[in-house]
Amino acid sequence: MSGPAAVITGIGLALPDSVGDITDLFDTSAAERGLFDRETGLRGRSMRHKDRASRLALRAAESALHDAGLLDSDTFTGPADRTAVVVSSNLGNLDSVCSFVDIITRDTVTGLSPLGLPHTSSNAVAGWVAIHYGLRGPNLTLCNGPTSGLDALFWTRNLVAVRRSDVAVVIGAEPDTEPVARLLKQDNESAFDGAVAVVVESAEHAQHRGVRARGVLAGYARATDLSAAITAARQPDLRPVQLLTAETFTTRFGYCCGALGVLQCAAGATTLDRDDIDAVLATIGAADGAEAAAALLLTRAEVVA
Amino acid sequence: MSWDITGLGAIASIGSGPEEIFAALCDGQDGLGTLRAFDLSCYRAHHAYEIDDRAQPGRDEPFRATRWLRTAITQALRDAGLDGGPSRYPMLVGTTMREQRSVELWWRDGVPLGSADLHFGPALRAQFGTPQTYTFANACAATLYTLGMAADLIELDLADTVVVAGTDAITESAFGTLDRVQNDIPDALRPFDNGRRGMLMGEGAVAVVLQRRGMGSVPACARVRAVSMNCDAAHPTAPAPPTISWAIRDAHRRAGLSPADIDVVMLHGSGTRLNDVAEATALAGVFTDAGAAPLMTAIKSMTGHTLGGSGLLSLIMAVLSLQGGVVPPILGLTDPISEADGFQLVRDRPAHADLKTAQINAFGFGGINAVAILERAS
Repeated sequence: MSGPAAVITGIGLALPDSVGDITDLFDTSAAERGLFDRETGLRGRSMRHKDRASRLALRAAESALHDAGLLDSDTFTGPADRTAVVVSSNLGNLDSVCSFVDIITRDTVTGLSPLGLPHTSSNAVAGWVAIHYGLRGPNLTLCNGPTSGLDALFWTRNLVAVRRSDVAVVIGAEPDTEPVARLLKQDNESAFDGAVAVVVESAEHAQHRGVRARGVLAGYARATDLSAAITAARQPDLRPVQLLTAETFTTRFGYCCGALGVLQCAAGATTLDRDDIDAVLATIGAADGAEAAAALLLTRAEVVA
Repeated sequence: MSWDITGLGAIASIGSGPEEIFAALCDGQDGLGTLRAFDLSCYRAHHAYEIDDRAQPGRDEPFRATRWLRTAITQALRDAGLDGGPSRYPMLVGTTMREQRSVELWWRDGVPLGSADLHFGPALRAQFGTPQTYTFANACAATLYTLGMAADLIELDLADTVVVAGTDAITESAFGTLDRVQNDIPDALRPFDNGRRGMLMGEGAVAVVLQRRGMGSVPACARVRAVSMNCDAAHPTAPAPPTISWAIRDAHRRAGLSPADIDVVMLHGSGTRLNDVAEATALAGVFTDAGAAPLMTAIKSMTGHTLGGSGLLSLIMAVLSLQGGVVPPILGLTDPISEADGFQLVRDRPAHADLKTAQINAFGFGGINAVAILERAS
């Protein structure tokens, strides 16, 4: 792997306040900024005409960009032409798809709102975030199943390593909507309802800005089973790691789906920053025979530098 | 750096393989038909470019997008001489709507669906054996975006061979919302023509095998010289000429080429009022201002807008154009838009020329743009 290293410089959460105390996973200020009231927390002018996934994502992105020192009020101050948006979401626009079909069946297309058009495409969240902050770099949406969040961080690292981007805001967002609840009920899962964002930068860009790197995206693999993914993600650096398993999060937050990997990354960076640990390994096992497993290695910034 | 394309696969309304589709384009045959499975009384527009493969005519079925994807990848692997045994190559799938048509049939009609059916990884792993599958929902720029990321993977020494693919089946939610939004009711997709009345969707899947230079077991059929990608960050559905221009110039810069070096442009050409004017304005700023006039064509006039796969379908047709020195015409083009003054739009019949370099445009919702540059292999 050549090219500049990709480091984490900001974390933002958008979680319903019903999740309770999360300061064991995230630092106090992120936790304070990140909790919202489910009924009233996603309103305001910038939230208009957007689906729930996009509103959750905008809230998390704002918090992460603020944390990274890249916002002046609500204006992005980084290199907009070289800033990517990378979103992971599997269930984000199912509410639009299903409600539009209901409306067409009942009222024909004349019953539809023209404002719904962006949400028919699965990449609406990434589009809204780019528009809100004027981010003109690469714009990616991963809809890649349970490992989607870790996969999104891998592709973000690649964008930085080939110098397509100096900065990226990576967001995992999954809304609790009626179709999502019905789909997950089939598997006896409850829906997550939140978003998490991390700001990833090239190490040199972070250094140039004089901001602290809280972790390095150091290794990643996707494989048929978890042990193979772990071995491959740790190569060639086999120092001890602290594991951050999927279960750490799903037992607290429900089935985090596409948001999971980004949540793990945010918590991992917090851990590296706070505790005396050199490396964290985020893992997601193969949910069943059909899906794959993935692992992401985060290392302490000064260890690599 | 450049990358070898060693295998091609495609299925669309007008053919079940790349050569068959290319021959239909050169013959001016389109895949236009009356909607085959939606209730016509619910829609103003009644036409699309569908693949006619439902087991029972008029009755829709789930997972057609997945089925076509498997077909296109199988073709591409065979073409590249890689079809013996399991394929452990990374597979990058670009799509606008994933299996959302199956979601609709699940939600309204009770067709069985699980959350693992939303992305293509499980189906590809079951058929080809690879766990390295990635579904990118990057709207109608998806497959050129994934081509760029596949090239990055090779450049970063993370792979020598990558399968780049895409697929989309028409959904009621997207067809219906587009129908609601378009003022006119199009009965055909007519890119760059003053008589155009809007976009109509098409169906299809595509795949190419991308390999490190010289690593293939068959000769390259073309080389990727560059892929650029960016985002307008301006409007969720309307394109913006300045960022499109920037994407085109960035692709030329990455390839080390100037506008005069481009022999043929495969237009995005979606036939909407806004796209065609924005695309023509951006192209005029790059090419006309530099005194360059490449041949230009728009295959959506015959395939419809195949959404996530459309960029790569244009690219596969560009490979065949470079190989044969033939560019298919834009079907139905009789009165070009004024913004395209000075363009060499191919019309009425195929154009024959010695072609070395092709540019492919793809733009999508969310304001995302990708531009690829191809060169002839020999």
